[in-house]
This record gives sequence, structure tokens and C-alpha cells, in this order.
Amino acid sequence: MSDGFRDASHLPKQAGRNQADPDGLPRQRRGTTPQMHGRYPDLDILAFTSHWDGPTRTLILDRVENPPPFRFFDAAEVETLKAFCDTVMHQTREPRIPVLAYVDEKLHTGRLDGYQYADMPDDRETWRLLARALDEEARARGGDAFGRVPEELRLEICGHLADDEVEGGTWEQIPRAFQVAMRAILAAFYSHPWAWNEIGFPGPAYPRGYMRLGIDQHEEWTEDEAFAVDPVGDVKERGLE
Amino acid sequence: MKGAGLVLKGSLRPKDNDSAFLLDPHRRGVPNRERMQRHRDGDEVDLVIVGCGAGGSVLAQRLGRAGWRVVVLEKGPFWDPDEDWVSDEEGAHALYWNEKRIVGGEDPVEMGKNNSGHGVGGSMAHFAGYAPRFHPSDFEVRTRDGVGADWPISYWDLKASFERVERELPVAGQHWPWGDPHGYPHGPHPITGAAERAWEGARACGIRMRVGPVAITNGVFGNRPHCIYRGFCLQGCKVNAKASPLVTHVPDAIEHGVEIRTNSMAVRIEIDGTGRCTGVTYVREGREHHQRAALVAVAGYSIETPRLLLNSTSARYPHGLANNDDQVGRYVMVQGAPQVAGRFPERLSMYKGPPPEISSEDFYETDESRGFARGFSLQSVGPLPIGWAEHVRGDGHWGAALREYMRDYNHWAVVGCLAELLPLPDNRVTLADETDHNGLPIARFDYTQCDNDRANIAYAKRVMNDVWSAAGAQDTLTIDRYAHLVGGARMGTSPEESVVDSDHRAWGVPNLLVADGSVMPTQSAANPALAIMALADRLAARLLAKRVEDGRPRPPRTGLVAVLEGGGA
Ligand SMILES: Cc1cc2nc3c(=O)[nH]c(=O)nc-3n(C[C@H](O)[C@H](O)[C@H](O)COP(=O)(O)OP(=O)(O)OC[C@H]3O[C@@H](n4cnc5c(N)ncnc54)[C@H](O)[C@@H]3O)c2cc1C
Ligand code: SF4
Repeated sequence: MSDGFRDASHLPKQAGRNQADPDGLPRQRRGTTPQMHGRYPDLDILAFTSHWDGPTRTLILDRVENPPPFRFFDAAEVETLKAFCDTVMHQTREPRIPVLAYVDEKLHTGRLDGYQYADMPDDRETWRLLARALDEEARARGGDAFGRVPEELRLEICGHLADDEVEGGTWEQIPRAFQVAMRAILAAFYSHPWAWNEIGFPGPAYPRGYMRLGIDQHEEWTEDEAFAVDPVGDVKERGLE
Repeated sequence: MKGAGLVLKGSLRPKDNDSAFLLDPHRRGVPNRERMQRHRDGDEVDLVIVGCGAGGSVLAQRLGRAGWRVVVLEKGPFWDPDEDWVSDEEGAHALYWNEKRIVGGEDPVEMGKNNSGHGVGGSMAHFAGYAPRFHPSDFEVRTRDGVGADWPISYWDLKASFERVERELPVAGQHWPWGDPHGYPHGPHPITGAAERAWEGARACGIRMRVGPVAITNGVFGNRPHCIYRGFCLQGCKVNAKASPLVTHVPDAIEHGVEIRTNSMAVRIEIDGTGRCTGVTYVREGREHHQRAALVAVAGYSIETPRLLLNSTSARYPHGLANNDDQVGRYVMVQGAPQVAGRFPERLSMYKGPPPEISSEDFYETDESRGFARGFSLQSVGPLPIGWAEHVRGDGHWGAALREYMRDYNHWAVVGCLAELLPLPDNRVTLADETDHNGLPIARFDYTQCDNDRANIAYAKRVMNDVWSAAGAQDTLTIDRYAHLVGGARMGTSPEESVVDSDHRAWGVPNLLVADGSVMPTQSAANPALAIMALADRLAARLLAKRVEDGRPRPPRTGLVAVLEGGGA
């Protein structure tokens, strides 16, 4: 990564592999990112809250500080679906964004998205069936519930699901399960300030707004990408490991 | 004022709409809401409108100004942007029509945040803000290109309405070289680095681009502040810089006696023994009410308008209102709207600035060498993180790869297209077996593309990829998607192939109008909101000039009759 991220060689399609290498990234120094790595090691969105309008601040702080309790899924479903969310979002260790908690709340309160595919059940039913189908698949392949099988097997099952290559049993009732599930998972993950720290999105911008719109420009209050530093060396040097 | 026509810029005040001046410069909510006129259900008002969106609001404002007694029934709330809206993607969920619809067909269309709003302002509360006109060719697609349908009116019937609405929103952009060339009341906004990259690519391909046209103030306009380039247009503008009926037409409508009755879901249009509408039954706070009216206009957009007509059954109209010929709900259209992202070495921060920035209509009309009829427009867009995640997912990524593309967010820019897809009779809204909490059957929308549609979308994707490769993009990511609904109660020249006539009047029901995007016979390659407002403006003018008769001798009344008999306003 000699010229940092100006080069595109780190991108999955360029590198010809699915597995990116987040461990080569700097560790987060301020604020939190999921798994504590990111391109903006000193970006802490939650340090900006005094610049936000009241309703936005209340909403986002509540999102971070009070992840909702599980009320929709039962304990077994939670175990399976947590493992599923972690696998498809590559959340391999703490700190994790509690994705499933937000999904649970959405389903529990019926805050659905305004449509249901004709060949699919209601979203709430879909999620329950997904849990069942994942366990069936994991048992068929590895002999245990999805949440208890090794990561490689979970990745393999999710890969088949993403490529539409699962069939039989409960899968037949939910042909678009991955689509429906990912919609909720991505919304939960990328509405969390920790994810914004990771990707360099400055979050709510009202009433402050932006001023420097041009190429390679950034506001004096946003962080630049850490491409000037060799992340691996930098982390070692600062003893941040 | 010599040369005034050439300097229509800045604070020029629309002649007959004071909305921008009725707003408060320091608070976003509509101030005169507190003194809004109230009507009783039992009073027969001149007009009840279902839906306070693009079409419904303009119609209400025009007729309210002319002294009509108007009630607008709106299912959603009366938004106060200061309190109800947040500067957050997921937090904008309440702005969308989230009640269930069933989507089917071979190419089902996602609803909700993608195309349906509710509450005062309708879908425009969270629309992106592009406000292009339709081209003259859009109105004669069947004659010119042998596909789709001709409209019963022409571009020239709407031209004055386009101009009027452009001044009211107001629209900002460069001089427009396409269609019927024209300028805009506000000048072009500055553009971001992301749009700059797209423009460079287009230039290298010989494609013309222009800044705008966007319904975002770019200068003094009443009490509406300037855009702060924060990029949350799709989540509702907390600044009041972006146009939506909530700030462009509702304040003036209220000032002129229009009542907007919120949290009121119309469930049935009632008729009498002669087949005329008597008013609208609606549910508010769990209770059914009936608002009597001399004239009913439905403006609930392309899913809810057909649904309401189909649900309004009676002994006389067992298949629903205006549906004797099985036309209601047919020919619903969306635009093919794939987006292609390009990756660059520099930091582009595409979340900055309004998502709509620059566009091209070079591919808008039919070019036989392309091998399909009609075309598409190109527009830059700037997805926020959830939108970007959906884009990355749309290209097939998940897990570690998705996270990596997400971390790369600041290096990407996105262009999208709007491909005109053709009106097809089986792309339609019907009633599903399932009912909502009011016991009302919900809508089912089936959608399948035809070969021309597929060819158009595939071609547009190639062009977008060419733009990025000419710009030197290091990588690209593509998502297939749809945008914008229109049709479902189209206007035409006979009841056998349409639902309303050229004056928006339902065939066979003399005092029922449809006044929203559902009347459009074709989709065009332009975004629809400006045209929907322009159609409502034209309809209002024709009602006021008594061009649209409702066929009933009216007992003398104040208000409406006074105006009409005084020769129109
Ligand atoms: C995310 C998004 C981006 C968009 N971007 C653009 C853009 O850049 N440019 C553009 O031109 N267009 C854009 N559009 C489309 C544009 O907003 C719509 O085409 C336009 O608002 C439709 O106008 P309408 O009057 O037909 O319906 P709407 O504006 O949707 O209004 C319909 C209203 O009727 C109400 N209603 C429906 N049924 C009932 C009932 N039974 N009882 C009571 N009330 C009811 C609804 O709550 C709603 O408020 C966008 C839309 C979305 C969602
Ligand atoms: S970018 Fe401008 S128009 Fe869009 S939401 Fe922000 S202030 Fe409003």
C-alpha cells in the first residue's frame, strides 16, 4: 500500500479476492469503529454532537447508547441470526455494531419498509424462516445450529445464499431472503456512527453544512484519510497494538 | 423594464403565490397553519382533494386563491421540519409510505423510500430535487416512434404551466439546450468534486452535461434560506432550501382558506343514485367520517389513486369508480434507473452537495442506430452510507468485500440514468387479498419489462461505464434499480383506453377528477414532479375558466360561484 488509497489495488475486484485485509489498516485512536480499524483513525463523529440540531442529536445518541433489547426474536433465533449478521457484515470481533438488536426493534414495532414481494411472506415471517433455514442448512452440512458451526462453514452457507444457490426445506418459502435481510442489516449497520468513523462519513451536517466541495478538499473539521502513513508501521511505532 | 425577460434571476416573486414569503425565516414549520380554515364534514365544500403531494397541493393552492372552498385529505402528518425531520438516513423512515403493498411480476419494483411519500408535501418532501421539463416529443411517442401512447395534450399546452411552476419552486440551473430550450429563474449551483469527475468523463465521450435543473433556491427567495450543501435532500430538507409543496404551495393555500386535514386516510369515494360523487369517506383517529363535496379530485399517486378508485365499489360501479372498461390501475410505469459508480484516486466526498447536480439529455429521444425506441437521461447522484451500501450490495458484494468497498466511500462518484420504460397494460395495480388496519384491501403492483425496456437499460449502462472509463476510473460498481412511478389512471381520448380525459375528468363520473402522476400516458426520461405540478396548474386554470364543466346546475353559493360568475380569476 505504498501510495495509500490513491491506488485501487486494495479493492476486492482489483485484488481478485473477496477477502479484504482490514488488519493492515490503522487502529482507531479516537472514537470507535466496528473491530477498531478504519481509514480515519482520528475521526470521532460523536465528538461533533454539539454541532447537530436537537432532534437529530437525540435520535443518534439514543441509537448508540441504548441498543434496543430483544423482543421479537427468541434466544435460539438470536444466536443463529447474530451469527448470520456478523458473517455477512464481517464483524469478527468486538466491538461489534449490534445489528440484530436494531433489526429486532424494527420487526417488533412493525416499522417495515412498505412492500412485500409476491413470492415472499411478510418481513417478520421471513426473518423467522431465515433463522430456521440457516439452522437446517448448517445441520445438514455440519451437524449443529448455524450459530455453533465454524466460521468457514458459515461463510460458505452465506455465499451460497448470496448466489441464490440454496434450495429445499424452508428455503423454498423464502426465495428472496438474502435481499430482504440485507436491506435491514445494511440500514442498521450504516446508520451507526461507528460505521461512519470507519468509512469517513461526517454524519449529520445540519445546521453546519459543507463549504469545500471540490476534489481532494475537506472541511477543516473532518479528518483526512490515513494514506500518508504506513498503517502497519504506524500502529507499531505508536504502540497502539 | 427593458430586457426583463433576460434577467429573470434571484428574488423575482411569483405573481400569484406568496408561499415563500409566508414562511418564517428562522423556523421551518408552516407558520399560518395555526389559523387554517376548518370545514365541517356535513358542509358541502366545492372541492375535496385526496392527497397533499405534488399534484394535490398545486390544485388546492390555485383554487383556494380563486375563492373555492377546498378541503385536502392527507393520510400523513403535517410535517414540521425542525421537529419531525432529522439529518439522518435511517431516521427519515417516517417520511415514506411504509404501509404494505405487494410487488410482483418478473421485475418487481421496490416501494417505500424509493418512490412513495406521505404527509403534507407528498413524495416531494423526500424527492431528490431534479426538476426537468418533459420534451415536446414526450407527448407524441406513438406517432413519432410507434411505441407507447400519445398524450391528448401537447407540450405547448403545458409550456406556460412549466414556466409558472419553475418560478414558484424555484428551479436553478444552466440554460437548457434540450427539448424546448429554456433558461431557469435561478442560476446553477456550484458542483462537487464527484460531479466534476462525471463531467470530465462525459466531456471526453462527447456527451453534453449541464448543471441542474434542481428545485433548490440559489439566491434570495422570500424567507427560504440558501442551500447549505449538506446532501440530505432525500431525507427531507431541514433548511427549506429544497422545494416541496410543504414550502412552495401549502402556505399560500392555507392563506387563501384551504383546509388541509391531516392523518385522514380516504377509504371510499361515495356516489349517489345518478352516479355522481357526493364526497369522500375517510378514517381519522380510527373513526370514519364523510366529507361532502361538489367535486372530488384524487391525487394519491400511482399506487394509491388506483387503489382508492378500485376500492370505491357500489351497485352502480361494481368494479370500482371509472373502471367500467377495466382501465384503472393499468399502464403503471417506472424508470429504469441503474447507477454506476466510478473509483478515483482523489477524495471526492460524494455525500456533499445535493445529490442532484448535473445531467444530460443527449440520449433522450429515439436514435434508430441504438436499436430501441426512446431513450434515457443521465444524472449525477450522491448516495449517503446506507444508499452506498445498497449500491455495493447491488454489485454482488457482502461480508469483507462489502466492508472494504464501504471504507473506500470517499473515493467514489456515482452517475445514474433514467431510462424511459414503455407503458404496458399488464404492469398494473390490482387489489390484493390482504387488507390494511382499516379493513381495506391493499394494493398489489405487478411489473415486467418488455424487450425495448431491457435494451434501453442495457445501453444506458454501457454509456455510464464509458463515461467512467473516459474519466479514468480505477474500478466501477453497478446497481440495477428503478425510480419514479407514473400512470395507473392515464389520460386519453376514449374510455376504452384511458381513465380520464384531457381535462383529468374520469370517464363516466362527471364530477370526479384525477390530478397526480397517475394521469401520465408515458413516462418520459425526465423526473416527473415538475410535470405533475404543471398538469395540476393547467387543470386549475381550466376549471377556473370553466373549461371543465361538471354538468350540474349549482345552487347559488358564495365563494366559488362568485368567482366563476365574475368571469373567472
Ligand atoms: C426518493 C425519491 C426521489 C425522487 N426524486 C425525484 C426527483 O429528483 N425529481 C422528480 O421530479 N421527482 C422525484 N421523485 C418523484 C416525485 O416526488 C413524485 O413523482 C411526485 O411527488 C408524485 O406526485 P403526486 O402528486 O402524484 O403524488 P405524491 O407527491 O406522492 O402525493 C400523494 C399524496 O397522497 C397521499 N395519499 C395517498 N392516498 C391517500 C388516501 N387514500 N387518503 C389520503 N391521502 C392519501 C399520500 O400520503 C401523499 O402525500 C422522487 C420520489 C422519491 C420517493
Ligand atoms: S443539500 Fe441543500 S437542498 Fe439538499 S437538503 Fe441540504 S440544504 Fe436542503
